[in-house]
Amino acid sequence: MTPPRAADERLTESATCLGCGCACDDITVVTSGDRIVEARNACTLGTSWFGDGRVPAVVRIAGRDAAVDAALDEAARLLMRAQRPLVYLGPDISCETQREGVAIADVLCAALDSVTSSGAMSSLLAAQERGRASATLGQVKNFADVIVFWGVDPSLRYPRYASRYAPDPAGLGTPAGRGSRTVIAVDIDDSRGPADADVRVSLTAGEEVATLTALGAIVSGPARLAAASGGPWARADELAPALLAGSYVTVVADAEQPAGLPGGDPGRAAALIALTQALNGPTRCALSLLRAGGNRSGADAVTTWQTGYPAGVDFARGYPLYRPHDGAAARLSRRHVDGALVLGSVALIPADIVSSLARVPCAVIGPRASESPLAGCDALIDTGVAGIHEGGSAIRMDDVPLPLRPSVTGPRSAADVVRGLRERVAGR
Amino acid sequence: MSPIRIAGGTVYDPANGIDGEVRDVCIDAGSIVADVPRSAVTIDARGMAVMPGGVDIHSHVASGSVNLARRLTPDEHDRDPAPAPDLLDTFSRSGTGGTVPSTFTTGYRYAGLGYTTVFDAAVAPLTARLSHAEFDDTPIVDGGFFVLMGNDEYLLRLIGSGEREQAREYAAWLLGAAGGYAIKIVNPGGIDGWKRGDRGPFAGLDAPLGSSRVTPRAILETLVDAGNALRLPHAAHIHCNNLGAAGNVETTLASMRAVEGRRAHFTHLQFHAYGSDANGIRQSGARELIEYVNAHPEVSGDVGQVMFGPATTLTADGPVEYLLHKSTGRKWVNVDIELETGCGIVPFNYREKAAVSALQWVVGLELFLLSSDPWRVVLSTDHPNGGSFMAYPELIRLLMDRTYRDDRLKAVNQTLLTGSAMADGISREYTLSEIAIVTRAGPARLLGLKNKGHLGVGADADVTVYVPDKGGDWSRMFSTPRYVVKGGELVVEEGQLRRAPAGRRLHVRPDYDTAIQRDLRTFFDRFGTVSFDNYPVGALRDAPSRLG
Repeated sequence: MTPPRAADERLTESATCLGCGCACDDITVVTSGDRIVEARNACTLGTSWFGDGRVPAVVRIAGRDAAVDAALDEAARLLMRAQRPLVYLGPDISCETQREGVAIADVLCAALDSVTSSGAMSSLLAAQERGRASATLGQVKNFADVIVFWGVDPSLRYPRYASRYAPDPAGLGTPAGRGSRTVIAVDIDDSRGPADADVRVSLTAGEEVATLTALGAIVSGPARLAAASGGPWARADELAPALLAGSYVTVVADAEQPAGLPGGDPGRAAALIALTQALNGPTRCALSLLRAGGNRSGADAVTTWQTGYPAGVDFARGYPLYRPHDGAAARLSRRHVDGALVLGSVALIPADIVSSLARVPCAVIGPRASESPLAGCDALIDTGVAGIHEGGSAIRMDDVPLPLRPSVTGPRSAADVVRGLRERVAGR
Repeated sequence: MSPIRIAGGTVYDPANGIDGEVRDVCIDAGSIVADVPRSAVTIDARGMAVMPGGVDIHSHVASGSVNLARRLTPDEHDRDPAPAPDLLDTFSRSGTGGTVPSTFTTGYRYAGLGYTTVFDAAVAPLTARLSHAEFDDTPIVDGGFFVLMGNDEYLLRLIGSGEREQAREYAAWLLGAAGGYAIKIVNPGGIDGWKRGDRGPFAGLDAPLGSSRVTPRAILETLVDAGNALRLPHAAHIHCNNLGAAGNVETTLASMRAVEGRRAHFTHLQFHAYGSDANGIRQSGARELIEYVNAHPEVSGDVGQVMFGPATTLTADGPVEYLLHKSTGRKWVNVDIELETGCGIVPFNYREKAAVSALQWVVGLELFLLSSDPWRVVLSTDHPNGGSFMAYPELIRLLMDRTYRDDRLKAVNQTLLTGSAMADGISREYTLSEIAIVTRAGPARLLGLKNKGHLGVGADADVTVYVPDKGGDWSRMFSTPRYVVKGGELVVEEGQLRRAPAGRRLHVRPDYDTAIQRDLRTFFDRFGTVSFDNYPVGALRDAPSRLG
């Protein structure tokens, strides 16, 4: 290990990075004073997520500097006055802050949504319909001998997936690491799998669902319907033996599907689940869904345990109702929000939602709020970033919880600030 | 918290030999006391039954797996909205019910039944942090959980190399790292096999796992001995191999014999008590199983009663859920949890007209009714597996009212009931004292909770007051307690939930040989995905329980 370079350098070991959903927790953060000088083990994405650790510490009411208490009072007023309030859980907040956020939505009879609705909702809905065959990432690391990257190369948005989980590391059942595994890349139009795959198949987006469905039918058994016609069946026939040759197959797909339909193509999500379930029987199989950073899986988990639903919740009747197709984006676009509370990093919230939020009375509590497009909102409190300036816990893309280890002092803890707001709106 | 006098009630406190005596129960500063001043709040309990708060020894309410089950059942939540109760001194939370309710609703509903302590029976240590967070959001009840160890790779390695003492030290470390309360074994070795691709039938307690020397018997012995040697308040809590299979009572009996003479708790016995006839057709194996339990005072169990209606089957026993998914076509979640265990979830509906459901219902009741010692065979539905905890009052009615039970029996599918004890007729009716044993005093004793499950001076002031139903419907009586006191606070008044204090966390932190950490850290670094230093949940707000 490199020795500290300056007298005031401090190390924070085993820090968890929330730069993407991999949530690598082996980061050694080197700090000097209030600056991060290095995030050892971090990938480029992680390094930029940690940054230099410096964040603004502004508190404003309607664009004018204010005290935290006054801004919280203003936020509470705005939310309690609203007939159709919205609480929106953005990225970069801990589970502890998310818990307070859901409590505020409950007390206010507000709509509650998170960034999950814009990215990964189709995966959640498909899993509610069918269940899913999955695994934590360590099971993939230790046992997956056939890995299919379905239209995704994790090196782009999940840079350490390959080196930490699969296919690179050696595991109990994969003693030679990459050499113990067959890597299959399925390219879907321009969404290509890893360059060094052992097997490569190319599909058009139009063929994707049909191919998944055909594969599911083939691996399910007696129906050797294959070769019934070309196209998807031919591709499926080509892929099926490679899948069935595995003793533990893992299909890796990106759950974050921002393009096209909001939350991605439901048919694709369902077909991925159906195939990976069907592979259990002839072999074992898990679907590993990639999730982006900032503790998105935490928002799903917290919202689920407090309400019974993962996102897209409406408390208007005094209890949670599931409105997955009428989340923040839909409500904002038809002007059914007249007061909003945004928690987390605005910079990571989809642009359409941010621009709509700019048109309604709005309070923002989160990192770099004062540098965001919502900087002019009614009440704004800059906080630290969960995992950099404040602790608590977060949840990895495979639903494994991790502690957060702050390495530098931030302006103020989001969890404390949001608790303060909850106490104001709850009245006790 | 003002002192309280529960005056003139008929007290059922079997741990202290009190069976239906009219007397006062006094409460101060969270505990039962001998007397309180005249100025104390007085509850007129004349004509009412006073019991300790209920203790659930085996439930699934707070874990990563439970939360996946919640996520899987939005339709149930839609049908059972739970508005926020009108509380006096804290703001309250809404939620949803169904068989896997949201956390706040879980706490409110347990307390609303007079239950004040609940254990989650299956937590993967990797996800223990989630269980603590969910318990933090489950008000009123004191809670804890059991730590899954029966398929833990590191433990199996130690057993395989004959290092059983090291295995005990590892179990001790794991309990403290997770903040858990007891050792849990689920399908010893079988989940590990499922994760490695074995899909054959169960091959017996002495069949080695894969290429190793580890057998289910060795896992059972090692962990049962560890629990006893560490003087844990609760014995190793065992979900046997071969759950649900016709003829599995032989496996269950063999497992009990494997640890004969040693304190051990066998859970949801109903799911492990099926015989099979000459043609392999499933039948009741309850009599055979309960006769063994009756004759062996070191063995305890909970029943895991099936109740007709919706359920969510949810278990670390992944291969069982795979089979259920295959045989029912219902939606299915499987999560292979690295190095530790599995998780399977399938929503289910037990129907009176379905032969197997009817048999399961009968087998559970037979276990209750043929048990000679209510202290050792206690009540559970393995919530939400056999049915919701909300069905406990109905289950109590089945145990207490033979006429009602026989009427229900007539309505169920009789196909598989030939020769069963229930079909032959069982006249036993549980008394109120016996109900107090199987729902509070017994579980508390089995869990080693010295201050719970009774109303002696010094006990935790967890008390429930029920009003006997005029029409003799025991289900109504146990559905709606008139008063519930938790930790000295009146949480239910006049049948309404009025306060929701936070519950305490029940956990243990046994000493262990720190030398094990060196090798363990290496194992983590090589095969784990969570840093060794990030794995333990760290200090908890409540102090650990004392070891026996």
